[in-house]
Amino acid sequence: MRLLRTIVAVAGVAVGILGGATAQEGHPLKGSWLGEWAGNTTHGDNILLILDWDGSAITGMINPGTDNIPVGKASLDPKGWVIKIEAEGKDKSGAAVRYVIEGHIEDLELPNRSIVGSWSSNQGRGTFMVSRQ
Amino acid sequence: MNRRAALGSGFALGALLLAAAASAHHAIAAKFDDAKPLRFDGIVSSVDWRNPHVHLFVNVANADGSVQNWAVELESTVLLGKSGWSHDTLRPGDAVTVDGIAARDGTRQLWGRRVLESATQRQVFDVKDTAPQSPQSPRPTPRWPDGQPRLGAVDGAGGYWAYPTSTVLVQAGATVAMDADGVLAKLADAPRVAPFQPWALGLYEHRQRRHLADDPGFLNCKPPGALRQFQSPYGVQFVEDRERNRIFLLLGSGNRNYRIVYLDGRDQQGQVQGDDDNPLYYGRASGRWEGDTLVVETRGFNEDFWFTNGGLPHTDRLSLIERFSRPTLDTLRYEVTVDDPGAYTKPWSSGWELRWVGGEELPVYFCQDNRS
Repeated sequence: MRLLRTIVAVAGVAVGILGGATAQEGHPLKGSWLGEWAGNTTHGDNILLILDWDGSAITGMINPGTDNIPVGKASLDPKGWVIKIEAEGKDKSGAAVRYVIEGHIEDLELPNRSIVGSWSSNQGRGTFMVSRQ
Repeated sequence: MNRRAALGSGFALGALLLAAAASAHHAIAAKFDDAKPLRFDGIVSSVDWRNPHVHLFVNVANADGSVQNWAVELESTVLLGKSGWSHDTLRPGDAVTVDGIAARDGTRQLWGRRVLESATQRQVFDVKDTAPQSPQSPRPTPRWPDGQPRLGAVDGAGGYWAYPTSTVLVQAGATVAMDADGVLAKLADAPRVAPFQPWALGLYEHRQRRHLADDPGFLNCKPPGALRQFQSPYGVQFVEDRERNRIFLLLGSGNRNYRIVYLDGRDQQGQVQGDDDNPLYYGRASGRWEGDTLVVETRGFNEDFWFTNGGLPHTDRLSLIERFSRPTLDTLRYEVTVDDPGAYTKPWSSGWELRWVGGEELPVYFCQDNRS
C-alpha cells in the first residue's frame, strides 16, 4: 500500500509539474482521474482511475499496475452528470471485494473536472473524490 | 486633476485594458447579454486597435458628477479595416453616443452595436464587410491543362474562399434558429441539430447554457479542425501542389494553421480510426477526384478542440467525408458527411457554399494564446 501511495503521490507531483490536465473535449469521463476513496482499508485511500469510451460503453481500470481492478459496469447519465461504476477486486487474502462508486461530475467544462460522491464495498464505505489529470 | 488622481485613473484604465485584453476572443453571447441593452454618451479616452477585438474606452459622467471609464468592444481590426475604419477614426476627446449590450459579469464593458460621433452624427465602426458582388453572368470554372478544376488561385494571382453561406453546422433537413456563432435561439431545439448520443446532447446543451464561453478555439487558439475552417470568419486558401500530390489549406483565422490533403493515395495509418498513435487537430486527410468533385476522407482527429462553431461534441472516432466542387469561378460548394459513432447515433450531412475573394491574400489575423 505504501508503494501505491508513493506512485500516486509521484503521479500527482508529475502532473503538477507538467501543468495540469490536458484538454479533453470529447466524452467527459475519458481520461486519467486521481484522488481519494477515503477510508478504504483494503486498497488504500488513494485511487488512480483510468476511463475510456468506446462509443457504446465506458471501460477502464482502477489502480493499473498495482491493484489492477477492472471497471465492470459503468454508466453516465447526462441529467446531472451522474455516474455509477461497479468493479470487483481482490483483497490480500484473495477474497472478492465488490465496489460500487456513485457520484457526479463537477465543473464539467474544465479539463480538470472532478467526480464527487461515495464508494462502498462489502468491506467498507466512504467518500469519493477524483480529479481529471 | 492632481498627480495622485491622474495616477489612480491611469491604473484604473490599465486594469480595464488588461481586463478587456484578457477576455480576448469569444462568441459575443459568451460575454455579453442580449437582454441587457445599454446606451450612454461619453468622451473617448483611448482606442485600442488590436485583434481579436478593437476596444474603445469612453469616460462616462454619472449623475453625481463622477466619471467612469467603460470599455466598448468592437469587431476585429480586419473587419473594421475592411469597412473603412482605422485606429484614428476616433481620437481621445471625441464625444460619442454608444448603443450596445452589457457584459454578463456586470463589469463596465459593452458590446458596441452602434457608435455615433456626436459632433457629426456620423455612425462609425459599423461593419460593412460583405461578400464580393456576383458577376452578371457566371464565370467559368478555372481548370488545369488536363481539365481538372482548380480550387485555388490561377497564375499567381491571390485569392481565397470566404463568406460561407452558413457559419453553423446543422444536419441536412433541419431548420434550427441560432446566431452566427452557433448559440441556439431556443435550447429546446438542441436535439434537432444532430443525431446525438445522450451524453453528446447533454454536453452540447451544457456548452449552449454557458453561451459557448469554453470554446478552446477562442480560449486557447486551438485549431478549428477540418470542417470548421470552412465556417471561420477570415477564409481558407487552397494551395494546390501538383508536383507533390497534395493540397495545402491555409486558415485565415484562429492560429493561422494549415491542413494537408494528400492526393497520392496513401493509406490511413493507425489502429482505430486513423492516426491513433498521434491524433491530430486536422486529422489525416486523403483525397481523390471523382469527376469534377474532390472527395476528401479524414480520420485520426484528437479530442482537444471543438470541431464546429456552436460546440457540437466529437470523439476520436470522428471521420469526415468532404466533397468540394467549383461550379463557377466564384463559388465553392462544400458538402460534408459526419460519421462519429462515439458521439452520434448515425452519420449525418450538411453543406454550404463559399465565395471567391479574388486578387487578395488571406487577411492578417493571428490568434496566439488568446492574444491577437
